[in-house]
Amino acid sequence: MKRRRFIQALAATPAAPALLAQQAQPSQQAPQAPPPAEASLRYTPPDAAAEAVLHFFTAQQFATLRKLSDLLMPPVNGAPGALEAKAPEFLDSLLSQSPAERQQLYRNGLDGLNAQARKRFSKLFADFDAAQAEMLLAPLRDPWTYDAPSDPVAAFLRALKDDVRRATMNSREWSLAAAAGRTRGGGGGLYWLPID
Amino acid sequence: MADTKFDVLIIGSGASGGMAAYTLTKKGAKCLMLDAGPPIDFERQRVNKSAHELPFRGFGKPGKLSHVFQATEFNANQWVDETQVPYTHDPKEPYNWVRVRMIGGKSLFWARMSFRLSDYEFRAKDHDGYGDNWPISYRDLAPYYDQVEPIFRVRGRRDGLMQLPDGVFIEDTSGESECNKRFIAAARERGIPNTKMRTSMGRGQFASSFNLLLPDALATGNLTIVPNAVVREITVDKNTGLASGVNFLERESHREMHASARVLVVGASCLESTRLLLNSGIANSSGVLGHYLHDQFYITQSVQAVIPEARDGKAPSGFIGGGGYMPRFRNLKTKEKNFLRGYALDWSTGGSPDAKYFPLYGEALQKALESCRGAGFNCTVMGEVLPRAESEVRINKAVTDVWGIPVLHVQTRYTSNEFNMAKDAIATLEELCHACGWEVLARHDQMFPPGYSIHELGTCRMGDNPKTSVLNKWNQSWDVKNLFVVDGSSFVSGGSQNPTMTMLALSMRASDYMAEQMRKGELEA
Repeated sequence: MKRRRFIQALAATPAAPALLAQQAQPSQQAPQAPPPAEASLRYTPPDAAAEAVLHFFTAQQFATLRKLSDLLMPPVNGAPGALEAKAPEFLDSLLSQSPAERQQLYRNGLDGLNAQARKRFSKLFADFDAAQAEMLLAPLRDPWTYDAPSDPVAAFLRALKDDVRRATMNSREWSLAAAAGRTRGGGGGLYWLPID
Repeated sequence: MADTKFDVLIIGSGASGGMAAYTLTKKGAKCLMLDAGPPIDFERQRVNKSAHELPFRGFGKPGKLSHVFQATEFNANQWVDETQVPYTHDPKEPYNWVRVRMIGGKSLFWARMSFRLSDYEFRAKDHDGYGDNWPISYRDLAPYYDQVEPIFRVRGRRDGLMQLPDGVFIEDTSGESECNKRFIAAARERGIPNTKMRTSMGRGQFASSFNLLLPDALATGNLTIVPNAVVREITVDKNTGLASGVNFLERESHREMHASARVLVVGASCLESTRLLLNSGIANSSGVLGHYLHDQFYITQSVQAVIPEARDGKAPSGFIGGGGYMPRFRNLKTKEKNFLRGYALDWSTGGSPDAKYFPLYGEALQKALESCRGAGFNCTVMGEVLPRAESEVRINKAVTDVWGIPVLHVQTRYTSNEFNMAKDAIATLEELCHACGWEVLARHDQMFPPGYSIHELGTCRMGDNPKTSVLNKWNQSWDVKNLFVVDGSSFVSGGSQNPTMTMLALSMRASDYMAEQMRKGELEA
């Protein structure tokens, strides 16, 4: 259906109360069969048709997050990287709804990383080259411990490593790449619908 | 016209309530079962989705189900909503109360690990002097385990272990992979036994009250199930002192109803049963009701190792994969210096270590993960928690659920006995991995908060003395003789074994006794 004709059809639809008033009583009319399924209808997720509006991170924090995301989860052997998977944009949305403690971890981590960047190289982390970035990401080369590091930047980097990876591997882009045989995995499973 | 005359009213449709219905209806008792949750149609309730189709890419809605570490965005709707049925605890002493309200209860989702307790648990005080013995011994319960296991079709291997009695098994004759043989041999050299996992196969690997107990009970024509019935209180006849029935609220409308029966069976899960008795103000002349809360502590992903010969996909067929179960081996014939009782190990090979354990990122991490794919060793430690009087639940009248029912306040924490046991477990596992030549990638001895195992036990304990226990050896209230509590709350101690088989056996045994007492008229005024 052309868009204009679709809008015209919508305009011709009566408001719900009027429609209900026209309905015959159940005892007077046999129930109607449901309309046939429109197999040809296809839908598009919003990320494929629109840009995310950011709410949580400042512009500087977000630029740092993008740089980090690309370093932590780059595209490898045909698998999409974090930027292609829009992991930073997703994390902005997730963090905007997260508990205060988690929000603080991210804000302190990003700001702390930039403070270190300025102190050591007099520029923002987002403007680092690979060698400079590697120096500040040294905490990620420490052996894993159950307790998070006490240093706020190290604790943030550890959390981000997990989050970026998960946001990337659970993305639509990763799923499409897996379906095309360019990577493995991609989360999926049986989803429990809400119980009435 | 309403059919309101019942012999037995059963609260809860999970493993213990389901077994009571299964046993009593076959003996001709007319039973009414109430459950707080709805019936579930699995075909309609679950749909296949990719994580990217979910609102939060599988991370889950932030802040939802903060106590349920088992919750994912996929299964979040299967758990009890903590905002609907809250509970309280000291923020410094977290408790993870994990609940299901559906017909079938938690038996819809359990891990199906199916073990017997032994006299190391039933006669624990005789063995090490701590705590209390159960009022029954293994010999009393063994005939009921014998009947329960065929219903649940438990698969296992008979190994003649005193601490893990054999059962009526579908014999597991599967072999061991080469690296599993190595691990088992290293353990044997250190006096640590191993057996195959003992698992309820049920029907189609679904082993629930929902499909194994309730259909048979319904087929007798003696069972009436009312879902969505949130029981608020047990009512007592003031003249006789006997339980007369319950008041319940319809889950959605909140309409209050009363149901009555000659005998009441409470099997609503350990803490919900306790909450109900406490809110009803009954069965507590001992003052013990709500005390002795215990479970098993869990340490998942305790030791992560990589098996070098299996790196880079080089493992030949039959080299790696599978797993086993090492039952308690501490404090049986020897005595540990710094902890009582013991722990079990649920281990496997052939998995892939999680990315977080590698001190790498970017492309280097991807390469390492690919190299270690399918080359991992992993183990969950499950340790006995000592029952302590000071571990308790009580009613918090200041907070109610959405039905206006006062909630529980939980007060419990693990202590040095559990922490020392955990350290021993991790050191032992690391030693075994090194003995096998495996590379230990990560290790930790930090258990989840109490409650995580979903094995809460002990708050309506059985005993020989009405002054120190809530129930007698037949799961019968000392105070209200027509009231029986048949779930895990009746345990005196829990060992390190998963408790469901014992709950089922106890419920069947109590129901046998109940039917006989009813026949004799012993449960009347």
